[in-house]
Amino acid sequence: MIARVAWLLARPGSAGAAASVLPVVAFAVVTALLLTVAGGARTFFTWTDDTSMIYQLLAVIALVLLVVPLVSLGGAAARLSARRRDDRLATLRLLGATPGAVRALAVVEAAAFALAGAVLGVLAYLAAVPLIGLIPFRGEPLTAAGVLLPWWVLVGAPIAVAALAAVSAVLGLRQMVISPLGVRTRQEAPRLHWIRVVGAVGVVAFAYALMSVIGVAQVALVLITMLAVAFGGTLAVLNLLGPWVIRLRASGQARRAKTPARLLAARSVLESPKAAWRQVGGVAMTSFMAVFAGVGVGLLGSAAVDGGNADPESAMLLADVRTGILITVVGSFLMVACSVGVGQAAAILDRADLYRSLEMLGMPVATMEAARRRAVMSPLRVTAVGSAVIAAIVMLPLTGITLIVAPLSLAVIAVVLAAGIGIVWLGLAATKPVLHRVAAG
Amino acid sequence: MSSFVIEAAGLSKSFGTAHALAGVDLQVRTGESLAIMGASGSGKTTLLHCLAGITRPDSGTVGFRSGIGLVPVTELGERERSRLRREAFGFVFQQGLLIPELTAVENVALALMLNGMPRATAEQHARGWLAALGLAGLEERRIGQLSGGQAQRVAIARAQVTGATVVFADEPTGALDSQTSADVMGALLHSTTGQGRTLVVVTHDPDVAAQCSRVVEMRDGRIVGERVPGVSA
Repeated sequence: MIARVAWLLARPGSAGAAASVLPVVAFAVVTALLLTVAGGARTFFTWTDDTSMIYQLLAVIALVLLVVPLVSLGGAAARLSARRRDDRLATLRLLGATPGAVRALAVVEAAAFALAGAVLGVLAYLAAVPLIGLIPFRGEPLTAAGVLLPWWVLVGAPIAVAALAAVSAVLGLRQMVISPLGVRTRQEAPRLHWIRVVGAVGVVAFAYALMSVIGVAQVALVLITMLAVAFGGTLAVLNLLGPWVIRLRASGQARRAKTPARLLAARSVLESPKAAWRQVGGVAMTSFMAVFAGVGVGLLGSAAVDGGNADPESAMLLADVRTGILITVVGSFLMVACSVGVGQAAAILDRADLYRSLEMLGMPVATMEAARRRAVMSPLRVTAVGSAVIAAIVMLPLTGITLIVAPLSLAVIAVVLAAGIGIVWLGLAATKPVLHRVAAG
Repeated sequence: MSSFVIEAAGLSKSFGTAHALAGVDLQVRTGESLAIMGASGSGKTTLLHCLAGITRPDSGTVGFRSGIGLVPVTELGERERSRLRREAFGFVFQQGLLIPELTAVENVALALMLNGMPRATAEQHARGWLAALGLAGLEERRIGQLSGGQAQRVAIARAQVTGATVVFADEPTGALDSQTSADVMGALLHSTTGQGRTLVVVTHDPDVAAQCSRVVEMRDGRIVGERVPGVSA
């Protein structure tokens, strides 16, 4: 029954084509990215020499970093689904459909979009295979044959992406109330006790201390454990502190705001700092990881050259890790850009009546646009730069040294982070037509 | 000099095959409170939108008499009409449609900030209007923390704070109980016609219409009657 009703509802709504096209494009990009990284990883797993394990480990980390934004994208797509079918879902509730059945409809639609997007993503990946094959690792191109995934992965990937989208849709819809009178988003109260902040600062200090004495570790297992505790602990802190920092900054911005756009943006972030964090949180991990690994790679590379023991294999490994970092950072930002695009389309539809009324009052659409842009870009900048700074603090003695002996490696990371922020800006710009259509009524 | 603040002639507007307005002529007098009544689908909201420059009619003209002369509303571009709405008109909607994440004072001040007034001055003016409408002490509350009647008073303050010549209200009491409705309508009239300004209100409610100085009745996109409340036809 649900599939049949979902099909009936799949007619174009008042939100226009952009609200349907965005999630499909977003899932296509995400799938293509995941397959690209998985393709590279496949090559790594065919290697059996001493350093192959490092490559395999790094590929798995990159995949994990890319899957996190995918989960938030699924939730955003489901909320968009519920929003674009707003009146129709509410009517179904009015006709007696249970909340569960109506939610299932939104989940089915989100999964269908994910499936359609993922199939396009597979096609895009297949088209890009010759290009991906040109990426050099160990001084040689990976080759098209090397990165081409087996058929069962290509068939299974869309199914897995759709399943993941369905699961995150179920979670995402917990924030929606679909009543017979309409669809609305639940408000959540942003609260974080100061004791947690103190605890978080303690963890960062501990991680810093751990990294300062890491040289004393004589056994590889101890070294890896210390690195894992410092890395994992700080990431957990980022997740805990992220919404709090975003709220603190938005609070100051709201007080100081002199223009309508700045005031609206700051207040909109303050409304739910957790939601703002969820949208850009994926960047925090990537940004942190990029600096964390970038400092290490830069330093090791420089030490190897200075010590005269720059054997070709080590130099190649460092160059490859650098390539991997750059690909993961760009991929992660692309994921966040997709998530922002879909999330923003849902947010615009969420507030369609309000935007329409503001347009009637004479508020220029450019002002609404500027407010929306600031509400996304400001937390994003704080997240990207803040995570990078925390990573730099944890690695402090090494960060300073790297800055002196290998400034180029840090500069490259800074440029890539800036480019990533630009990619998210483009994702945001893609939702402009939705706002214009909604404001025009 | 004409005593009409708005003059509309031959207004027609269709949405697909539905004729929302079918040749409407209407003059709104300076300082009056005009109620537009009619059944759902009679075209009253479309008429209000055309008079306010929100919607452009398919044919016909709307003129607004401002301090500098007659402004041909229907001939203005999108940008000029937005500016006119921002600077000369005020709006009150049925659901208030205030910005939920802003405080009461920020919602009102925003209308002035959009016209370029510095925030501190805008908030000072906004506080004055909120106090005049009986909301002193509630300025820092967010919209969700106010009752329906209080939120609607914030909407009235927002419509008035810019010194709007004409306030357009679309079912301003539609979502309120009868007592709150009477209070809100009283506040709306006091802050508009009580200050020499003009009020155009679309309503289903005969009690609301009865408080206005003139009532026009609409049916099938046409004005089919006009009366002065309290005076037998």
